Amino acid sequence: MNAVVTISQIALGLGALVALVRAIKGPSLADRIIAVDLILLLTAGGFAMEAARGGTQLLWPLVTVVALVAFTGTVFVARFIEWRDTR
Amino acid sequence: MTWFEFVGSGVALMGVVLSLLAAWGVIDFPSPLSRMHAATKSASLGVASIAVGAGLAAGSPALIGVGSMVAVFMFVTAPISGHLLGRAAYLAGDVSKLIRDDYAGVSMTEPHRTDASNVFSPTRFAALVVVWVVLWRDPGFGNWVGGVLVASLVETAVRSRRLRVRPAGVIPFLVAYFGLILRSNLRVAWEVLTPSNEAIREAVVAVPLESSSRSATLLVANAVSFTPGTLSVDLVGHTLYVHVLQFESHEAVTAEVRKVELLASRLLPAIDHAP
Repeated sequence: MNAVVTISQIALGLGALVALVRAIKGPSLADRIIAVDLILLLTAGGFAMEAARGGTQLLWPLVTVVALVAFTGTVFVARFIEWRDTR
Repeated sequence: MTWFEFVGSGVALMGVVLSLLAAWGVIDFPSPLSRMHAATKSASLGVASIAVGAGLAAGSPALIGVGSMVAVFMFVTAPISGHLLGRAAYLAGDVSKLIRDDYAGVSMTEPHRTDASNVFSPTRFAALVVVWVVLWRDPGFGNWVGGVLVASLVETAVRSRRLRVRPAGVIPFLVAYFGLILRSNLRVAWEVLTPSNEAIREAVVAVPLESSSRSATLLVANAVSFTPGTLSVDLVGHTLYVHVLQFESHEAVTAEVRKVELLASRLLPAIDHAP
């Protein structure tokens, strides 16, 4: 199980790096928030895998919180783009 | 390795593969709207399977429950943020590559306000009080008072119509919805893995909705983001603007949306007609 967890976390980290390239390159704000949202979701996935290692169960609330931040952040930026571009 | 660990790792690894596909789609696809196809569909199913897999691997019923709750959370929030971000991505992004754009011209209108009447629901009120007391795990007097206060606050804040759901429609809806999620993920995986971006024929298509009830319209607008190859951009009145990754014909897109409408109409009876 430990090997599976480690491999998954490395893979998720690589995925987050790839998404980070998009967050830096843009070109639009929408591209960046799509990428940041994805990075946060991959982070939540990494925490869930760490919880599967079985050391501590305190990580599950963290999974929920990171996923919630990803959702609210995306919604706020989406509203901001609408406000900025329809004035 | 126990049986639970084995199945759990399998499910989690599938989730990791989907998440990687999502990341590659976000870097590889040519426009913000097409990148959203990868991010909304693959990432949500990916992280949901990781959470369920991690819960299974831990092997305790409570943790399987927690993992499933995270998965449910992903499937509820992903279409909502996808629907909201769709319009933003259209406004902020480059739309010159669209081979058909029904949304041009409509896009610059003001964001439409919805007016919903505030209907007090005794059932919801009672449920809120009970949930509050259960959460505190202490049926003392103070918690009941707190529960009534919180429920009153929520009742005054929430501005929604009374929502009626057909109980018989819930299970078929969930099964069909999950089928849609799986099929749309296969579609995205195919688009990500085939290397040429020239093959992507993006379009924004206007689809008039048939459902008369407002809640059904909203449900369709959000669920469309999980149907294969489509993503909702905006809902104006009863017209849904849908972004498609591979545009073939207007009829094909309409047929895909009709399937979701049929599904929604079985879940929500048309009682709350729009004013």
